[in-house]
Formats: sequence, C-alpha cells, structure tokens
Amino acid sequence: MKALLRCTTALAGLALSAQIALAGPETVSGPGVNPECFKPWSAETKFFKWEAKKAPFRIAVVNGFVGNTWRIQMIKTAKAYAEDPAVKDKIAEFKVVSTGTDAPAQLGAIEDFINQGFDAIVTIAVSPDGFDRVIRLADKNNVVIVPFDNVLDTDKVMQVNEDQLAMGRMWAQFVIDELKAKGVTSGKILEVRGLPGNSVDRDRSIGINEVLAANGGPWDIVQVVGNWDDGTTQKVVADAIAVHGQFEAVVGQGGSNGVIQALKDAGHPWVPVAGESENGYRKAVAQYSADGLKGISIGQSPGLVAVAMKAAISAMEGNVMPQLISVPLPVATYKDLKDGQNYWSDLPDNFFTVNEFPPCGVNISGPAIMSQSEADVK
Amino acid sequence: MRQSSIKRWFFQNVGFASALALLTVIYLSYNMLHPRGFSSAVAIQNTNEAAAIAFVAMAQTLPVLLGGLDLSVGAVMTLTNCIASVLVNGSPGQIALGIFLTLASGTAFGFMNGCIVVFGRIQPIIATLATGAIAIGLALLVRPKPGGDVDGDLGWALTNSVRDFADTYGIADGGDAWWLRPFADIPVPFLLVVFVTVLVWVPFRRSVTGRTVYAIGSAEGAAFMSGLPIARAKIAAFTLGGFFAACGGLYLAIQTSSGNADLQQAGAYTLNSIAAVVLGGTSLLGGVGSAVGSLVGAMILRVISFYFRILDIDPLLQPLIEGVVLLVAVSFGAIRTLRVKNKLDLFR
Repeated sequence: MKALLRCTTALAGLALSAQIALAGPETVSGPGVNPECFKPWSAETKFFKWEAKKAPFRIAVVNGFVGNTWRIQMIKTAKAYAEDPAVKDKIAEFKVVSTGTDAPAQLGAIEDFINQGFDAIVTIAVSPDGFDRVIRLADKNNVVIVPFDNVLDTDKVMQVNEDQLAMGRMWAQFVIDELKAKGVTSGKILEVRGLPGNSVDRDRSIGINEVLAANGGPWDIVQVVGNWDDGTTQKVVADAIAVHGQFEAVVGQGGSNGVIQALKDAGHPWVPVAGESENGYRKAVAQYSADGLKGISIGQSPGLVAVAMKAAISAMEGNVMPQLISVPLPVATYKDLKDGQNYWSDLPDNFFTVNEFPPCGVNISGPAIMSQSEADVK
Repeated sequence: MRQSSIKRWFFQNVGFASALALLTVIYLSYNMLHPRGFSSAVAIQNTNEAAAIAFVAMAQTLPVLLGGLDLSVGAVMTLTNCIASVLVNGSPGQIALGIFLTLASGTAFGFMNGCIVVFGRIQPIIATLATGAIAIGLALLVRPKPGGDVDGDLGWALTNSVRDFADTYGIADGGDAWWLRPFADIPVPFLLVVFVTVLVWVPFRRSVTGRTVYAIGSAEGAAFMSGLPIARAKIAAFTLGGFFAACGGLYLAIQTSSGNADLQQAGAYTLNSIAAVVLGGTSLLGGVGSAVGSLVGAMILRVISFYFRILDIDPLLQPLIEGVVLLVAVSFGAIRTLRVKNKLDLFR
C-alpha cells in the first residue's frame, strides 16, 4: 500500500513536471495576423504564438482516406499550392501521404515526420480523438500540427475548418425562404445525411433541423443516409420518392449530383434544393432554375488544405494565430451562377467548384486543378 | 550435424525464412534512408504503428492454421478498443481491472466464435462474418461517438522506450539505473509483443492442443482418426485468437487514449491481418505457419508504407505501388511451386 502511495505521488509529481517541461505554442491575446484570411471561430477563440523559425520550412500533408473526388482534388490542390510563387520560396520540402482509415498508421506517419525534422504537418484526422501523444511530441519538438476538414475535439492545436453548423442553417433557411416565396409553409422535406458518426454530418444536420423547427411548418422531415456519395445518394433519394411520393424540397449534405439524378429519373417536379458544390449540381441548377429547381450550393472546399498550409507557414513565422480558424462559406444560389466563373457547363460533373479563397491568396480554381494536368498549374 | 539441422529448418520454413530476409532488407534500407535512422525515436514510432496490426495478425493466424478465416478479428479489436476506452482509467487497481476485463471480453468473444464453429458446425468464414457484425454493433453501443479517457501516463509509458516507462513510474532511478541501461532504448510496444508471444503463443504451440491445431489444418480426418481433441483445439484456437485481438484493441486504446467504433478501420484491419498472415509464410490451406511469421508479415506490411514518407512518390500513385510491392512479396511464398517434383504436391 505504502509503495503504491509512493508510486502515485511520484507519478503525480512527474505529470506536473511534464506539464511544465512541454514547449509548444504560447497562448497569447489577439488579434491575430491577417484576420480576413485567418478569421477566429468565435469571440472566445484563443490565440497561439509559436517561436519564430527561419524559412524555408519542411511541410507534410498526412491524409487519411483517399479514393473520392474530394480527397483527390484536395491532394492536387495541396501540391499545386506548394508551387505557388507566394509560398514556394518558403517551402524547402513538401510531402503528401495517405494512410487510409487506420488511426495507428496516421499517428505513425505524423510521428515519423516529426522524427524526420519536418516543421509543420497538415492533416485530415481519421478520428476526432486519440492524437494526444503526437500533439505532445509535436509541442516538444516545436512542430506545428494543423488539422483541417475533419478536425480534432481539442483546443491544443491550431485547426482550420468551415462552420458546418452555419452551413446547415444556411441551407435550411434558403429552402424555407424559397418555399415561402412559392406560398408553401408546410409539407414533406427530404433531408439527405452524410457519413454516420462523423462530426461534420452531425453538425450540418443539427443546423438544418434547428432552422426547420424554428420556421413555419409543420414540416414532415424524412431523413435518408447518402454517405456524401453520388451513387448512394441517388439510390436513397429514389427510394424515398418511391415511398413518399412528393417532397416540397430536398436538403442534401452531399452527393448532390445523385439528388438531381434521382429527381430527374422519377419525374419528380423541380423543387427548391440545397446541396454541395459539385459542378454537375450547379450545372443542373443553372439549367432548370426557371422550371422550379431553385438551388443553393455551399461547398466544403478542397482548397481548405491550402489555407491550412498557409496558416502553418504563418504560425512558423511567429505570427499570432487563432486556435480555431473559420474559413468563410463559399455560397452560390441560382441567382449568382455564371458559366465559366462558378460552374463550368463544358466540364465533367464530378469535381468541386469551390476551391479558391481570394482573401487568403489561394487562387487555384477547381477546373484548373481537375481538368488540366498538373504541369499546367505550375 | 548442426549445419544439416539449420538446413532442414530452412527448407521446412521457406515462407517464414524468406519473409524474415525480406523484412531485414527493407527495414535496414529504410533506416539507412531515414534522416534519423537507427535511432530509438524511429524504432519507437515504427513499433507503435505496427503493434496493433501485429496482434491482430497473430489473432488471424490461429483460424488460418485450422484452414479457415476469421473475419471478426478487426471487429473484436474495435470492440475491445471501445471497452478499454471506458474501463482503463482511474486508480492503478482500477486500471489493472480494466485491462483484465478488456482482455477477458475479447477472449470470451473468441470462445463464442469457437463454440459457434464447433457446435453450430458452421464454416468459420461465415460464422465470423456474422459475429464480426455483432462485435461492431456492441462497439457502437459501448461508444456511439469516438472518445474516451484512457489513463494518460499509462499511454505515455507504454508507447515509448523502456527509459521513459521507468521515468513515468519513477522506478529504477527514473530509468537511469545501471542495470536498465542495456535495455533503456528498447521500445515498450516491442517488448509487449515479445512478451505475449513468448508467454502465450510458444507454450500453446508446444501443447497437445496447439499441435492438434496444426494437425487439423493438415488433415482433419487423420487428426480425428488419431484421437486428437479436435473440438477442444478448435475452440482453443478461436479463444486464443480473441485474446490476441483483444491485446490489439487494448494497445490501440492505450496508444490513442480513446476508443472509436470505426467500421472501416475494423474492415481494414481484418484484411490486413490476412495479408500479414500470408506474408509471414502461413498457408491459407492450413497446417503450415506460425504466429511469429505473422508478426514478421505485419511488420513487412507496415514498412512498405514507411517508404512513402521518406521517398518522393506521387501521393496518388502510392496505393498502386503498395499493391504491386505486396503482390511481389506474397509471390515469394509461392516460389516453392517452381521446384515441386510432382504436380500433386501443389495440392498440399
């Protein structure tokens, strides 16, 4: 018992000393650098400051799952942005790896890059938890880790994302407003959800349902799960139409091409639709908006990777950075769609139109990255 | 005499020997290419990444030796990962109890698999397909959202070197005791895998039950006619598989200090475990191979992907290259087909 007690005391002492010994970012008061690009998430967001390092830096991107268009576009954007004249001179070495949906492999890759002496690691986390050890190692070695898109449930690292809750709210609000203009204040609304168990899916759905519940109604909300995938979405939407007959509107988190295809195949009249930013979806909205397909398109942009890289560079230069960076939502409704500008009628359906963030100096457009070879972008 | 016994061992274990040689070559060159190769930090990172898949590959070995496949190993790992994320925290006593319960639940799950296969007379691959889904369902019940709070010091101590372990718990003068010096740089996960292998696998392999597992894989009819305890051996094999999978899940929980009922990850681990077993020289037909071989196979799988981090390879080409290298590596095991004297040998 005595030994146990001594052991725990030693342990507690050690834990304390370990806390003190940790290096890493210093928490400072704002405002941060370049607020148009690095907008703090909320008024409570903390600010971090790392010890300034000298350029050029070694940066790695550790992706998880690879194999859908979004991830491929993200990887291509990362590579193109590393060659961008604004940052090219600041990057000594740039590596991209994809580890699959395997947490130890992703943690291992991050730790390996820390061991190799990389200065910053940009990552899409395969799980919102479990990164404590690599964060500890990164802080010890003064390495900046920047999760984006699928972020971590921690406030110990700098993260970059779009506000998914706001995105859900905006989708629902648009649909409500369009229905009101049509004179519809109640009826069935189809909600297409994304990958179950994912924080992005959860937040978007909360936002959607919050606004629908607060506005008019009663709305009869039918939920189907489309996994953000065109094929799956098309199937579940077709099933829902077969079962429920007609919907007043469709709010889809992703796989928007599938939503359109299912509506078309079923001969469903065009109704207000909220969706992601696939080119095919925008093409359809532009074509059929006069017939009633009043659409809104908000995208989770693959270009977030470039903002995350820029944030990492800025942090290594010793600038004051917000802990959680909110990237503005790229919104386009049927009123703002312009061919060749925010959608491309002569290009394939399956790429994401929103890719650039002018306030951040990220000017790599979707078609430039997906339909031309990488040589052209450089 | 001595030389001939080595030679005999080699010819009896061509698959394992070539896997070991392959691992040695690729691991040494990886370390030579790595800017901090041959250092403790790199070894710690490598073993951390490989530990979970190594345990799951060992779990897969036993059903494969029987001539079957266990499609639930990844799911049992996920289930025990979620259980550990709930139980492994609190006072040292509670932590020990949590570890025990985690391992016990995985073992019990394996026991259930074995009973279904033996008494239900269902093919292992189908039985475990179903029980794997049950395990994922239970995992989601235990942990609907990723998270958890595994003891932080335990996590730090078990995912670092022996010196850090001693330092964390204040034993052996914080890791500086003279008698600890020779082992101070060894990664703890490596030792854990070795301990489990030596304390669990080796005694099992030498027992009658263990040898019966091999006999069943070679010729079940002959094993039965020889009066070997077939039912006991099958149940023991699946139970032990469940235990190894639980070791993997427990380690994953300690490493990530959380649990995650991730369906895709479970599937990936099941498939990778089969690949590791084959790479390690175990025959999918059963009766030939060992869990030690699967450890080597799991390491090979991991080391292949290590290369992508030190070499400059187009990220979109990496899966293709990984697949090709894997195919070449597996083909090493098939080299024996080039020197068969009789075509009938191929059916062995």
